[in-house]
Amino acid sequence: MAKEMVAMILAGGQGSRLYALTDKLAKPAVPFGGKYRIIDFPLSNCVNSGIDTVGILTQYQPLVLNEYIGHGQPWDLDRLHGGVHVLPPYQQAKNSDWYKGTANAIYQNLSFLRRYDPEYVIILSGDQICKQDYNDFLEFHKAKGADFSVAVMEVPWDEASRFGLMVTDSDDRISEFQEKPKEPKSNLASMGIYIFNFDVLEKYLEDDEANPDSSNDFGNDILPALLRDGKKMFAYRFKGYWKDVGTISSLWEANMEVLNPESSGINLFDDDWKIYSRSSGKAAQYIAEGAVIDNAMLTNGCRVFGTVRHSILFAGVEVEEGAVVEDAVVMGNVKISKGAKVSHCIVGEGATIGENSVVGEKPSPGNEKNVATVGPGVKIGARAVISGTAMVKEDVEEGGKC
Amino acid sequence: MLKNKHDAIAVIFANSYDNEVPSLVNERLMASIPFAGRYRLVDFTLSSLVDCGINNVSIIVKKNYRSLMRHLGSGRPWDLVRKNGGLNIVPPYAEKGIKVYNGRVEAVASILEFLKGCKEQYVFMTDSNIVCNFDFTDMIRAHIDSGADVSIAYKNEPIPYGFMNLQSTQATDLYYTLDLDGNRVTSINTNSKEYGPQNLSMNLYLTEREKLIEQIEKAYAQGHIFYERDVLAPMIETSKICGYEFKGYSARITDMVSYFEENMKLLNPDNFKNLFDGFNVYTTVRDDNPARYCSGSKVSNSLVADGCVIEGEVDNCVLFRGVHVGKGTHIRNCIVMQDTVIAGNCDIEYTIMDKEVSVASGKSIKGERTFPVFVPAFKQIL
Repeated sequence: MAKEMVAMILAGGQGSRLYALTDKLAKPAVPFGGKYRIIDFPLSNCVNSGIDTVGILTQYQPLVLNEYIGHGQPWDLDRLHGGVHVLPPYQQAKNSDWYKGTANAIYQNLSFLRRYDPEYVIILSGDQICKQDYNDFLEFHKAKGADFSVAVMEVPWDEASRFGLMVTDSDDRISEFQEKPKEPKSNLASMGIYIFNFDVLEKYLEDDEANPDSSNDFGNDILPALLRDGKKMFAYRFKGYWKDVGTISSLWEANMEVLNPESSGINLFDDDWKIYSRSSGKAAQYIAEGAVIDNAMLTNGCRVFGTVRHSILFAGVEVEEGAVVEDAVVMGNVKISKGAKVSHCIVGEGATIGENSVVGEKPSPGNEKNVATVGPGVKIGARAVISGTAMVKEDVEEGGKC
Repeated sequence: MLKNKHDAIAVIFANSYDNEVPSLVNERLMASIPFAGRYRLVDFTLSSLVDCGINNVSIIVKKNYRSLMRHLGSGRPWDLVRKNGGLNIVPPYAEKGIKVYNGRVEAVASILEFLKGCKEQYVFMTDSNIVCNFDFTDMIRAHIDSGADVSIAYKNEPIPYGFMNLQSTQATDLYYTLDLDGNRVTSINTNSKEYGPQNLSMNLYLTEREKLIEQIEKAYAQGHIFYERDVLAPMIETSKICGYEFKGYSARITDMVSYFEENMKLLNPDNFKNLFDGFNVYTTVRDDNPARYCSGSKVSNSLVADGCVIEGEVDNCVLFRGVHVGKGTHIRNCIVMQDTVIAGNCDIEYTIMDKEVSVASGKSIKGERTFPVFVPAFKQIL
């Protein structure tokens, strides 16, 4: 049975700019927003857009991601025909290889796509926080009679030179690309979300593979080839919330924006566009007498005896008496001991913060991008002090400094 | 047999003591009464069974079972979608000969053919009005060690007020206390009025499947109704019936006040720990967002589930999934079930609000600890 559109999510990235957080897991598996992982967003978007066949291309540290995706039931993607498939590189009769680039990753899985005989393929990135109806995008693609479309965001002109830009004519047809140019001719930044007609994708991936000089990357190789051949390429302007959470500070910032849905634009309280995730299965959260919680989001299994301000606590976080958590992203099963002060930071899953220790600090104005980070499972000893710029990967002893 | 698998099946009676909590079972049954912020009563027994490796579970329902069926679905949250065994819901009239039952004998008689078709050696039978983290593995071990024909789980505790003052006028709600010699049961007393701690049966039984079939076939043919009174009590001399004392934390729902109190007891962190630190407790997943505590909200000594949005003040409450508490509203000592919305500037105390209630702004509702106000599901207080 043919599928109109199949989604392929690129989830192989290491996310090296997330440092300690991605030591043991791929970037798409990084926790976000209290009970989600980044991959929940593209997956939920697919399901909410009616796409029921999704390939997830994994390569770097796939264990956590594999276990998390499982057979796809939390996203309603356990289907008889289609559903979600994790696609790691595999050994073939000839040419076994890691995924050499984004295009090569899809190329190696062309046989997966052919099984569903799709008209269109949407290529998604597994490391963005975005709520998007891919149907609207596909409608645009069809209406333009395009071979290829890319979703773009309008960015402020003075920031445009930080992005990969699409230069278009009045009909949104792409005439030129600019990669982080000094003098931008456009303010339409590529979101890295593409729709291809499958026959076009197939042909260009095969040609690209045959070219030994290619870096096998969509941005570097496939798109320029399409443009060179005069294919019909269009830019689709997306207007909702979109954030690349590739760095510690952008990950922290996006989490903080969740606390302010009225003005930030990321609303997780949307019954018509639910973000699905695998449940922690923990009991209700307990807020003790004397605890203070002010402008925060907490998830099941949390137990709070201290103070939590302007923070996000994932499932099973414990905040003991006298501890103060402020402007912090505290991932699952972290224990924050008595009297500890945790501020302006990200604390990885399962870390332990010792009594009366200090983790992170409120940055001076202009230095908001300084976000202290404690890696998953790290133990911070009692009375230790972790500076506002620290990136802690290993245990810190009692009274230690980092 | 692997250590974590057991050669046993389980039968749960879902309508036990329905008559004692009439408001709560208006549109549901005992097993599906919401409890502890995000669970239904049956979740606890189901989860303990599954975590003890018992994957063949039958739930016998009598009436008002739609809410339970919706809750259980295919049984996936409990990992009970199994090729062998899994979840088996048995409503009345589902087959020739399955009628509305009164007592356990009739209920089990209705699944005799099913029992005969099973291969497992043991059968657990249990009610659904007790919440606990129960180690079924340990009970099987004790049963084998004692050489008992039937084991009865009991807890040494005073007879609850609800039992002493049973609401039901039809004498179908019975409770039992056990006299013991060592662990051997020497007498089963029906609806005893003794004060002080008693060996109060948890109505949780373990016996061999073939023995149960034999007992039930005989009792049913003789027109008997109650397993304890009509089957077990008469065989005390001739068979070995043993007590199995459960020493863990348990909450027994016997009337509205105990329902209120047992929820509130979980606000004590020790009790909460004792109930939840054993086996996992599984329930349906709703995909709620994390709970949001808005600026200016105040929450103290409360259980809050995912999906709640709190703008006002909450003291000593249990809030289920998706509850909204508006700005300027103060709720104290309340149980608020899923998706109830309380607008701003309300003042509410000692109230149990069933699910999807909506309270307009500025309302005041006050009950007493000994008589909590109950607001039925979907009620709009305008």
